[in-house]
Amino acid sequence: MQKEELIQNVGETPVAPAAKRSDSIHDDTTAKIFIASSVSYFVIVGLVALIIAAKFSMPSFLGSVQYLTYGRMRPLHVNGMLFGWLLAADMGLMFYVVPRLCGVKLWSEKLGIATGILWNAIILGAVVSLVMGWNQGLEYAELPTLLDVGVVVAWIMFGANIFGTIATRKYNAMYVSLWYAMGTILWTAFVYLTGNFATLFTTGVNQANLNWMYVHNAVGLIFTPVGLAIAYYFIPRVSNNPLYSHKLSMIGFWSLAFVYVWTGAHHMLHGPISQWLQTITIVFSVMLLIPVWAAVYNFISTMRGQWHQLRENVSLKFLMSGVVFYLLTCFQGPMHSLRAVNAIVSKTDWIPGHAHMAVLGAFSFFAIAGTYHVVPLIFKTKLYSEALANWSFWLFLIGGLGFFVTLWLGGFWQGWQWNNPAIPFIDTVVALKPVWHVRLGSGFLMFGGIITFAYNILATILGPKGEEMEANVAVA
Amino acid sequence: MLHKADYSAPFFVAAALTLFFIGGILTTVVPPLIDASWAKPFENSDPTKGVTGKLVQLNETEQKGRKIYIREGCWYCHTQQIRTILADTKRYGWRGVDAPISTPDEFVYDAPHLFGTKRTGPDLARVGGKYNEQWHKAHFRNPADLVPGSIMPPFPWIADNPEEFKALVAYMQTLGRAKNWRPDNDYEK
Repeated sequence: MQKEELIQNVGETPVAPAAKRSDSIHDDTTAKIFIASSVSYFVIVGLVALIIAAKFSMPSFLGSVQYLTYGRMRPLHVNGMLFGWLLAADMGLMFYVVPRLCGVKLWSEKLGIATGILWNAIILGAVVSLVMGWNQGLEYAELPTLLDVGVVVAWIMFGANIFGTIATRKYNAMYVSLWYAMGTILWTAFVYLTGNFATLFTTGVNQANLNWMYVHNAVGLIFTPVGLAIAYYFIPRVSNNPLYSHKLSMIGFWSLAFVYVWTGAHHMLHGPISQWLQTITIVFSVMLLIPVWAAVYNFISTMRGQWHQLRENVSLKFLMSGVVFYLLTCFQGPMHSLRAVNAIVSKTDWIPGHAHMAVLGAFSFFAIAGTYHVVPLIFKTKLYSEALANWSFWLFLIGGLGFFVTLWLGGFWQGWQWNNPAIPFIDTVVALKPVWHVRLGSGFLMFGGIITFAYNILATILGPKGEEMEANVAVA
Repeated sequence: MLHKADYSAPFFVAAALTLFFIGGILTTVVPPLIDASWAKPFENSDPTKGVTGKLVQLNETEQKGRKIYIREGCWYCHTQQIRTILADTKRYGWRGVDAPISTPDEFVYDAPHLFGTKRTGPDLARVGGKYNEQWHKAHFRNPADLVPGSIMPPFPWIADNPEEFKALVAYMQTLGRAKNWRPDNDYEK
């Protein structure tokens, strides 16, 4: 009985009574555009990822062409994964989630479609620019200013649509995923302007400080909140289980809102930047444990007594492994902000290991889970193959763990070697070669995960649909 | 109090932005106002106060070289900062002299900054004058010829383009030179 009441209250939990799908008020064209294009970029950029991993094992691989060197392919990989795959997938899922939590149609489907077209134009422009070497020289902000302007316009269009939907909502109480969606839109606007425009008017350490504020918060205030919006929606929704605690989700959200933005300068620890600023960022970096542990405790407790569901449900497998990776990566972050740890791991291969666990292990896993759950619903069909989806999960998990763990161990080892000046630098490079071979092997596994995921989604979209299929889904 | 934010979107927006701007402003706008060394170019002519020297702006050729350095993504694998870590000063010093620690006043004219985040190759903050032009030419043609085991790819389109090669080497020879840190002025050309 109590559970029934909770289910009625959308503010507490996104587990709404299942309406007949044919009655759906939602159009979802925008969500379809974003999700389909993000999955395509996932495949293409996954290939770029393999190429740059191969270059560590075989330095001359594809090296005779200027446009395919590491220096061009790496920004293509980073920008492609961040903006082509992950952010687009996250936006697509928000276009699905927000109208449902508000109980109304998306504010403007036409505006949404235009946003999708503009976003794809930006990504294609980015590919051309980065391959040509039109690089602004700032990490995560490599794209030429013209494309930056395009991103700002697209973001305003996205924000207008999401806020418009929330303003016309039918349910008074806003579920936690809506806070995170709104937080993402607001903070990203300022974080992006700082990293891509304010940097144009500054130089040296001042510019670096703004650059790191952006880089850190691209993860902390863009991918983290939108990723948590997805996790907060889909973990209860997919397991059909009310969220454990509203109060904990408030603690998590509001502490994140306050703490995250302070920590950008921890990328410059021991570097040429004021010591007192380094100390401030260390203190706030450690405080990040508060929002992280609040959210993780909430997710884990939501699954109490329901863990058996992971056996049958691929989305839940991705969601809950993502939660574990989120916990781990956000334990690493505060720990390697401590000066003693930083002196070992900073600038080593530990860092890509850490970054990949956040962006791939946690937030991409959330987005993949959401995509698996949502695509059959919006295309009014069912998933092409549960078995293939399971394969994609294990390929991602094993490949991901192989990647993360070898890079941490390798990075630590590398850092210790660097701290002994008697060891020539080149010896520390040669020593890392086995680590990079394992990373390439793990990359193949993860790319296998991407291919099985993308093929499954494609086959689902192109597969049979219609009233008959719909009836089957409704019964299930 | 924040329960109000569950029901009121305007209240939510105000609260989320206020919390964000406290940290945002205190860590981005305020620090350069407090720490003048971020904007004051390095200059010291008094040897009792440490290394002497003066930060000068890059000339046209060096600027061009810096653009090539950015275009080719050199900064993804090479940092430019001697950190406050003893091993950094030892490792990146040469011929028995330790490299001075990098300070903000050495980078005042850098736009974009090239501090970097990853050392796949060695740090280049004090590489200016360490190798001569001949060495750089052979190295860009095939790094592994000079440094066996190196995974830096060859850059023949730079080594074989006299204009680009000259510019890039001219830029690299400026790195770390604001501080005139070699006691015998033994910089290579």
